[in-house]
Amino acid sequence: MKTFEKDRKFIENKYHKTDEPFNPYNRMAYHGWECDISTGKSDEEIKEGLRSLSKGEKSISHPEAKAKAVEYVLENIRIDVNEHDWFVGFYSLNRLICETTKNKWDEEVFKKIIPETGDKMAVFNESGAVAIWPDYDHVVPDWNSLLTLGFPGILKRAEEYRKKHEKAGDITDEMAAYFRGIEIEYKAIISIVDRLYRLALRKKHEKAAAIAACLKSLHDGAPKNIYEAMQLIYIYFIISESIDTYQVRSLGSGLDNTLYNFYIKDLKEGTFTRNEIKEFLAYFFMQWSAIGNYWGQPFYLGGTKENGDTKVNDLTYDILEVYDKLDIYNPKIQIKVSRNTPESFLNKVFNIIRKGHNSFVFCCEPGMIKAVMSYGATYEEALNMDIRGCYETGVRANEVVTTTGYVNALKAVEYALYDGYDKRIKKQIGIKTGDSGSFKTFEQFYFAVLQQWSYLIESSIEMANIYEKYLGYVSPSSMYSATIETSLEKGFDAYQGGVKFNNSSVLNCGFASLVDAVMAVKEFVFDKKEINLNELKKVLDSDWNGYETLRMKIKNSKRKYGNGDEQTDKYTQAMAEYFAMKVNNRPNARGGVYKAIMHSAMQFIWQGWKTSATPGGRKSGEEISKNASPAPGADKNGVTSLINSVLKIRPSIYPESFCLDLMLHPSAVSGEEGLGVMKSLLGVYMENGGMSLQMNVFDTETLRDAQKNPENYQNLQIRVCGWNVLWNNLSRAEQDAYIERCENIK
Amino acid sequence: MLVSITGIKKFAVHDGDGIRTTVFFKGCTLKCKWCHNPETISFLPQIGYYSHKCILCGACADICENHKIIDGKHIFDRKNCTACKKCVKVCLPHALEFYGENADTDEIIKILFEDKEFYEASGGGITISGGECLMQPEACSVILKRMKNGGINTAVDTCGMVPFENIEKVIDYTDVFLYDIKAIDDSVHKKCTGSSNKIILQNLKKIDEYGKSIEIRIPFVPDYNDQEIEKIAYFISNLKNIVKIRILPYHDYAHSKYSAIDMQDTLPCKIPDFESIENAKKTFLKYGVLCPIL
Repeated sequence: MKTFEKDRKFIENKYHKTDEPFNPYNRMAYHGWECDISTGKSDEEIKEGLRSLSKGEKSISHPEAKAKAVEYVLENIRIDVNEHDWFVGFYSLNRLICETTKNKWDEEVFKKIIPETGDKMAVFNESGAVAIWPDYDHVVPDWNSLLTLGFPGILKRAEEYRKKHEKAGDITDEMAAYFRGIEIEYKAIISIVDRLYRLALRKKHEKAAAIAACLKSLHDGAPKNIYEAMQLIYIYFIISESIDTYQVRSLGSGLDNTLYNFYIKDLKEGTFTRNEIKEFLAYFFMQWSAIGNYWGQPFYLGGTKENGDTKVNDLTYDILEVYDKLDIYNPKIQIKVSRNTPESFLNKVFNIIRKGHNSFVFCCEPGMIKAVMSYGATYEEALNMDIRGCYETGVRANEVVTTTGYVNALKAVEYALYDGYDKRIKKQIGIKTGDSGSFKTFEQFYFAVLQQWSYLIESSIEMANIYEKYLGYVSPSSMYSATIETSLEKGFDAYQGGVKFNNSSVLNCGFASLVDAVMAVKEFVFDKKEINLNELKKVLDSDWNGYETLRMKIKNSKRKYGNGDEQTDKYTQAMAEYFAMKVNNRPNARGGVYKAIMHSAMQFIWQGWKTSATPGGRKSGEEISKNASPAPGADKNGVTSLINSVLKIRPSIYPESFCLDLMLHPSAVSGEEGLGVMKSLLGVYMENGGMSLQMNVFDTETLRDAQKNPENYQNLQIRVCGWNVLWNNLSRAEQDAYIERCENIK
Repeated sequence: MLVSITGIKKFAVHDGDGIRTTVFFKGCTLKCKWCHNPETISFLPQIGYYSHKCILCGACADICENHKIIDGKHIFDRKNCTACKKCVKVCLPHALEFYGENADTDEIIKILFEDKEFYEASGGGITISGGECLMQPEACSVILKRMKNGGINTAVDTCGMVPFENIEKVIDYTDVFLYDIKAIDDSVHKKCTGSSNKIILQNLKKIDEYGKSIEIRIPFVPDYNDQEIEKIAYFISNLKNIVKIRILPYHDYAHSKYSAIDMQDTLPCKIPDFESIENAKKTFLKYGVLCPIL
């Protein structure tokens, strides 16, 4: 890794200068280092060129127009083959084609073709009740096709399919445009590989000849060794994400297995040594660390072969070793686990996690296979699923899933209390379920909540059913579709019904907060009668100001999601099923079905901002619960109770994803015994149908936050000797001392 | 059957093997200077008051004259306090805590069964601890027997300072004893705990002869018992059923608990350094102790 260490600094600064301010939320709005300006045009010049290009092609189809825009960018973008990097460089990650293609067509659809839907979506987004927009960010290409055929092979295969359709006489204008889009785009990709190759030839540095050979190989055909394979993945990634504007939600279909044949062949033939391969991996991973966007670049490892053996191999271990040494957070890694996953491998992962690395998530095969089979996949399809994005499921090379509406469950409570009126934006958003002040029983209130929730779910599906017909119109997915054989066979864009599973998903956001709010109303309004609904509304209107006692009482109540409370668990189960049954397997607009998700992405913060005070004790603007996890500070009964309660929901009824976050203190997972603890928690979760599990091991920063916000850390325990104590029971001075000592340990 | 406890802790990972649930019994027969759970020493119920959590709301003062808020300060007159628990119930920020709940063994047993799957997955189980749990031997035996019959691993965490007949009441339902040794030299033991160690060492030998697995736990406190390690190692080397030795390095994080129950704080000042802990572990190897030393 000696050479890598010398080059690390260069790659870290490849896409944005590490000493300059950088906003990880600002999608793609940053640049590479100063490429040689003689290699291409500036962003402004390219945009200007795209503008004149689009003026001349009024009657051209969208796939062709977009492909031509991509072609123009690829012809003109500045490039680099640097002495400090094994991977090529593109000057701009800005999505330059958007202005003249996607954004224009998006506006046309939402402003002119379906303006009512566009307006409705805007209002739902504004209220925070449903976050909704067209999604092009959640697919994984067929890496197997890409790596066995190479860019030229993909082009050739598409041409052959076009000819087949022509011969069969079933080719429509639309289909012809689809194939033309693919052909233009892949020819442009092959051309830029050639341009990069020629640049490499002109370079005199140490790596230049090897890089040139690699690019020549990718220009002519399929990658022949592991370095070429990684270079292909990288080039595909950059072009797709930054130029073609489709996110690539996994590197490889299991990076360890996608690259394994190359790895074995290279070692056997002596092309590279194991150390050289590790060095390539280091350069490869650093590319995403350097991009550094907040959503992180995933890939997954492990899994099970069709014969039941584990897919963990030598390369899996090498990948983990390199990743650990780099000590980076992006890419992020999903681990496909099942009973057969080797303990030595799991222990290595646990070890990295308990050093404080939160960029791992376990994806439990038993639960996830059940989930994928529930919408019609075969066992083999489910076994070979891709893990996409954060921890979403997808049939490999044959499923396009879009996320449509992020339904904010807490808004159902707000609207049930205020008869559908959104206090913050002062608009009627929900339906009329009556003046809650007149509700005499919990049943009336509960029913109103479900009606409001149902309305939000139905609205979300209704809006998606209209706008999703236009996904291919707004952004043809030529580059992606060409990798998917089913799409070529059908002759349809993958986003317009061109795959086997053309699915959409609806997200259940803030679910635990919903449970807490409903249970608080049940307990304090109807069971104990400490307050009536009119008074409660006043309390919420004041954002709990002057009602701190009541708020503390509610916060102290045992009737909270994730604490093993029998009654709460019953409502948890019922409401989780209610959402899932409303969503799952409903037909969508693209010939597929809807899948429910128990996962909230960043919405637990963003929708939290837009949600006023709620009965569970939450203040206006505070976070709502995320994923399948409890609201902040609400789990007071330990991780075992949390897991038991959460598993009362059958996770597989959320076939798109179901994720639980565990908070663990380093002392609970230290030493040999700590590995056993982590393994057991994962084991129980997995054996009982759990899908994804994230383990967070606290660091001193968290402990500091726990000092500032003790109410969010009621369950935090630290080990002080042969036992643990509750963090909140320590005095400030003791906490300070503990933090100080924690810092000394590292 | 009712039993006096200070709490039940789930996901206990340091009270024996694997993931466990631990029940803390109230009342202890020793008074160790370094005790980290001083609320478990007295056999009587107690109210703890944590000033840093108090928001001076006065809810306690409204219902009990032993609590007063004067000049922005909470005054707790313990002289007449009967530990009736009313103040704890109204204290929303948990500044007042009750130690010495009379819990029903059936309720405890129900809670202990909830995490069965975690015990099985991790090779864990349940632990009864304290205080000195074996001072309430009937309740211990009721709980342990039910656990054993339910196929759950059981551990008894004891200081050993109890009549052997109390141990006999649980021994057949106990898989492992977590047995504390603080010192071999009796005068040192008296200085540290207020009691002689004669009965403790006798009981330990008897349990060993009975053939029960024992995990030895040694609180390691500089200037108190750090000179005892060699003697402890020698003593242990003559026992047959020691399965594990755990050195528990002393930390001084319990000051707030002493002030909470208005008890004289006897905590030592000195914390052991890493090297002395490692040396202590090595001492056991010297005496041919072969079990894991943690």
